[in-house]
Amino acid sequence: MGEVKGFLEFTREVPERRPAADRIADWNEFSLPFPEEKVRKQGARCMDCGVPFCHSGCPLNNLIPDWNDLVYRNRWKDAVRQLHATNNFPEFTGRVCPAPCEASCVLGINDLPVTIKQIERMIIDRAFAEGWIKPEMPGVHTGKRIAVVGSGPSGLAAAQQLARAGHRVTVLEKNDRIGGLLRYGIPNFKMEKHLIDRRVEQMRLEGVEFTVNMHVGGSLSAEDLRKEYDAVLLTIGAEQPRDLPVPGRQLKGIHFAMEFLPQQNRRCEGDAPLDHSEILATGKRVVIIGGGDTGADCLGTCHRQRAASVTQFELMPRPPETRSPDTPWPLWPLQLRTESSHEEGGSREWSVATAKFTGDSKGRVTSLHTVRVGPPPRFEPVPGSESTIEADLVLLAMGFLGPVRKGLVEQLNLELDQRGNVTTDGNYMTSVPSVFAAGDARRGQSLVVWAIAEGRKAARGIDIFLMGKSSLP
Amino acid sequence: MHNHLVREETRTQVALIIESGEPREVMHFALLIGYGASAINPYLAVETIEDMVKRSQLPPEVTFETGLCHYKKSINKGLLKTFSKMGVSTLQSYRGAQLFEAIGLNRQLVDKYFTGTVSRVEGVGLEVLAIEAILKHQHAFFPKTEFETELAVGGNYHFRAGGEYHLFNPLTIAKLQHAVRSGNPQTFKEYTDLIDGQHRQLATLRGLLELRKSDSPVPLDQVEPAAEIVKRFATGAMSFGSISREAHETLAIAMNRIGGKSNTGEGGEDPARFKPDSNGDLRRSAVKQVASARFGVTTDYLVNADDLQIKMAQGAKPGEGGQLPGHKVDETIARIRHSIPGVGLISPPPHHDIYSIEDLAQLIYDLKNVNPKARISVKLVAEVGVGTVAAGVSKAHADVVLISGDSGGTGASPLSSIKHAGIPWELGLAETQQVLVMNDLRGRVRVQTDGKLQTGRDVVIAGLLGAEEFGFATAPLISMGCVMMRKCHLNTCPVGIATQDPVLRAKFQGTPQHVINFFFFIAEQVRTYMSQMGFRSFDELVGRVDMLNVRNAVDHWKAKGIDLSAILYKPQVPGRIARHCVQPQDHGLEQALDYTLIDQAREALENGTSVRLNMPIRNVHRTVGAMLSGEIARRYGPSGLPDDTIRMKFQGSAGQSLGAFLANGVTIELEGDANDYVGKGLSGGRIIVYPPRTSTFRPELNVLIGNVVLYGATSGEAYFNGMAGERFAVRNSGATAVVEGLGDHGCEYMTRGLVVVLGKVGRNFAAGMNGGIAYVLDERGDFAEKRCNKDSVDLGPVTDETDAEVLHAVIARHAEATHSPQAKWILENWEQVLPKFVKVFPKEYKRVLAAAHKAEIPRVEMLHQPAAVPLAAV
Repeated sequence: MGEVKGFLEFTREVPERRPAADRIADWNEFSLPFPEEKVRKQGARCMDCGVPFCHSGCPLNNLIPDWNDLVYRNRWKDAVRQLHATNNFPEFTGRVCPAPCEASCVLGINDLPVTIKQIERMIIDRAFAEGWIKPEMPGVHTGKRIAVVGSGPSGLAAAQQLARAGHRVTVLEKNDRIGGLLRYGIPNFKMEKHLIDRRVEQMRLEGVEFTVNMHVGGSLSAEDLRKEYDAVLLTIGAEQPRDLPVPGRQLKGIHFAMEFLPQQNRRCEGDAPLDHSEILATGKRVVIIGGGDTGADCLGTCHRQRAASVTQFELMPRPPETRSPDTPWPLWPLQLRTESSHEEGGSREWSVATAKFTGDSKGRVTSLHTVRVGPPPRFEPVPGSESTIEADLVLLAMGFLGPVRKGLVEQLNLELDQRGNVTTDGNYMTSVPSVFAAGDARRGQSLVVWAIAEGRKAARGIDIFLMGKSSLP
Repeated sequence: MHNHLVREETRTQVALIIESGEPREVMHFALLIGYGASAINPYLAVETIEDMVKRSQLPPEVTFETGLCHYKKSINKGLLKTFSKMGVSTLQSYRGAQLFEAIGLNRQLVDKYFTGTVSRVEGVGLEVLAIEAILKHQHAFFPKTEFETELAVGGNYHFRAGGEYHLFNPLTIAKLQHAVRSGNPQTFKEYTDLIDGQHRQLATLRGLLELRKSDSPVPLDQVEPAAEIVKRFATGAMSFGSISREAHETLAIAMNRIGGKSNTGEGGEDPARFKPDSNGDLRRSAVKQVASARFGVTTDYLVNADDLQIKMAQGAKPGEGGQLPGHKVDETIARIRHSIPGVGLISPPPHHDIYSIEDLAQLIYDLKNVNPKARISVKLVAEVGVGTVAAGVSKAHADVVLISGDSGGTGASPLSSIKHAGIPWELGLAETQQVLVMNDLRGRVRVQTDGKLQTGRDVVIAGLLGAEEFGFATAPLISMGCVMMRKCHLNTCPVGIATQDPVLRAKFQGTPQHVINFFFFIAEQVRTYMSQMGFRSFDELVGRVDMLNVRNAVDHWKAKGIDLSAILYKPQVPGRIARHCVQPQDHGLEQALDYTLIDQAREALENGTSVRLNMPIRNVHRTVGAMLSGEIARRYGPSGLPDDTIRMKFQGSAGQSLGAFLANGVTIELEGDANDYVGKGLSGGRIIVYPPRTSTFRPELNVLIGNVVLYGATSGEAYFNGMAGERFAVRNSGATAVVEGLGDHGCEYMTRGLVVVLGKVGRNFAAGMNGGIAYVLDERGDFAEKRCNKDSVDLGPVTDETDAEVLHAVIARHAEATHSPQAKWILENWEQVLPKFVKVFPKEYKRVLAAAHKAEIPRVEMLHQPAAVPLAAV
């Protein structure tokens, strides 16, 4: 802790965002650069708590007070070392993490928390810019072969850990590029994709092999995979979207968010859409059903595609402006979140359920018929609150129901929990010996930071399985 | 090696030099020296400093040499502190002294390598130590990648996930706060389940114990109600000063509402808190602590107490006094502590009036006289032998003995005291109970314990081991919003608890209800256990160690050899021997002369009429004037009676503690001499002592009064026509005194007031003095060189005119009061004698005065103007 009274002297400051009108004109990240002197002052706000709640709030247990102080002291190289000690990919979490660390920051009890996420991002960006990030070669080679199925943050984290423990790791990805949801779920304006490429390059040099366009459970059977490798890690995500089975659902123009978002990311790479016809919001009246992060990503994408109007519906009641008393510090707060996409336009409505869709003679959706509902768990419809809204494009961003069953999960006959996620033991091994699972596939849809944490722990589990012990954290 | 050479009788022929990579902290060095090392080369620590300089991890001005110099200095200072805590003055005496108790080492190991060291719970042997060493070695020499250079996170002092386990961690702190704020017992149970699940972490000795259930449980509704159980609870001694007014008063209000007891700590208390608020709340702390510094220990303070607690030591940092850094001493705190704003305050490690159990008995008697209604409690720390001490304390007529454990209260402790100082209360409490029962002393004293009590289970275990009352500090603080920042010493507590900064204090969110919820949750859990164990009342439970079992399923590789039979031993004594307190102490108060004094001064007490008494005094009359002063304070508060309302003239040899805690409005005049502790805790009264008028010796060359005179005096005047013994006016914080000579250690740790010495002084005068002024007549001219400890004071002639006037007035008053020939001679030869006076001016005080002067703040009240009332003819 550099400044004993730093938290009293300096106020919280985060980088400004590019003006909304500017940023929706392209697909680049929305944050403006932040000067180093400023971020060091932000580091000085850290109080070096005797019990740092931030680093328990963080699923990775990032050593936050330690690197806050190092940044304050201008010891960036030491800072990145400490950052990497617990987090393989701070450049991802420094951009897209909702920062539960900041929600549990002690300063946040009665003041604004430390800008932990921004500090993290600046440490790693600087480390890459300075050329400090080099491949870390294993000290030993075990000769063990491990397949990691799925190249999202969980799979990548596991692969890097396992490679550094001396194993031969192959990452198998069904899409044409590495990154999973990082690549095709998160819009470019939140995280530019060259960040993935440079990290993948480091991993390649560390010995990780990457195979794209390889659909395990499709073109390659799960059983073959098991035979070929000493261990298999499934980091296949939770890609089964929650549907809205109401009358009119079959109409054209109603899509899952994850049909819509990847197309734009491909377009940004200069590719044509793959197997389905183009979904574009341009000039359309769009309704997004679902008020979470995916909904917000759809919203920002629609703005950039120049939709005529965008309305976002949420089933839950409008949360309070500040932390709800039901979620006291240091818990993750129930409160209204206004993301960059919300600043850019569109309207939000809460306590809205969609009763049915109606369409025109060509089978295209034209309207949603909604009703106001009461609070959970009953969501009692409010009599007389029925309403209709016109729409040309409806995006369903209502969450996910675990991993896709068809294919891999069914072939291996994996045991699933009540919520449809893959069950594992304490070492992340599934009901099938030598097959492990981590990330959203095991945990259900969650944050990138959780995915990385799961990947790391699964790597340790696999290492123990193969070697009898592990020095991985 | 050391013990081997001792056994071979060749130890004195060699010196042992340790070269090792492991020693790095103060404790490591202390341990090595304590077991015989003459020199230590901690090469890894040295190389680490070198490496840090190379990597520019230290400020640019720090070179390897200066860095190493700082490191050595800090280790040396830490060692000095450690020695002083153990009452050892020199390194040579500490070397090989083996002043340690081992926890968790087996007998074989201890006998061979730490011969003679106490180890009561057995534990690991050499093999386990070897495995640990190998683990560390592997971590260092077989990294998983060449880049893997991170050390383990540690987390010994600050919590780190994956590091050392802490009972209070993010999860438990949050759960406790959510529970007390929502008032939800279910959430509280989640909290206690987390804490009580600690056996997996092996965090405490009690984690290894199991409660036995009864075959005949008692229905819950027949168990003593929670409202009764909470009366056994007290909050810890945290001073106003260490914690904010808001936090301190919230604790007091909460405890007063439920009939428990809050504790002032050693910082005094604002008299405004002694009267109930308009809503009926009382902000008064029931327990008033009397610690070594006697901050704010006035007569008024003492009479406004239910318990008077003599703090012999503090569980979390035994052997150390409290320290309040200057930036936490604001105007209010200085007023209440009778000190000067901005000047740091240090509590001396020992009580200067307690050097033996008889001294303690005298202090107990003094306090009981001032406030006969209060229980006198003595706070001891758990350590080996505490049982014997507790037996002595019980014989010295303490009503309560508190056994304080090691693991609480570490927020502001020096780093070197957080670990390895004190022992768990389980050990100290069990020993105390066993010794008291075996000596049939248990029946007349109540036993309290504290030191990280957190759950109902903790309370029940403490009860079974022998405690009747329970102290909690950290948990109530957390209930009020503390998040264990461990920044208590920096004044930057972000939740407004351990700070005096008004901006931060405004952030305090705690309420009395939060604290009350905590204690009722605990009491309800206690009741549940009592019902399962078949106890209707808590007293039945006290000392029933037979209801404790050792947990079977302890499967940690390091816990295998633990043997808790020393804790679980139940002395075999006849049934008539009490195992809990059944009768009050006999304090022998009925012999006090003060009953006569009170009786004869009734007119003054009731109507404020002037009263004059005249009677002989003998040395069996102890603590004369204290009970009378207590009566005055009870009736008239801190301002007492008008000056000189009661004047008592005695002839003869007075016993100990003449005029102790003498209140405003009382003058004691003694023709004769007096024993130790004259004017101890003087609170506004006046004491005049002179030799018999018929005597022929020169008073300024003869001892008139004993040792430890005016210790902890807060205001008042004293004139002694003769010499005093040692430790005169130690911790004076406001009294004016004239004396004609004194022994060693005069004016030590003085913070305010005025002392004039008209004759020779002993060694070490003014050690640690940081406020007030002393004038010493230095006829021999050796004061500066030989007599004074100049660490914290500046010396100079009396040049300032005001100073000279005040000095003259005070001496004139002394002459008037005592007819001192010395004073008469000085006044007659003023111009010649004045240059021989040395003004003893504390540096800190000077600094603060200069700052105040610079800021054009009106000059701090610096000198005590003698009272305007003329002294009656003597």
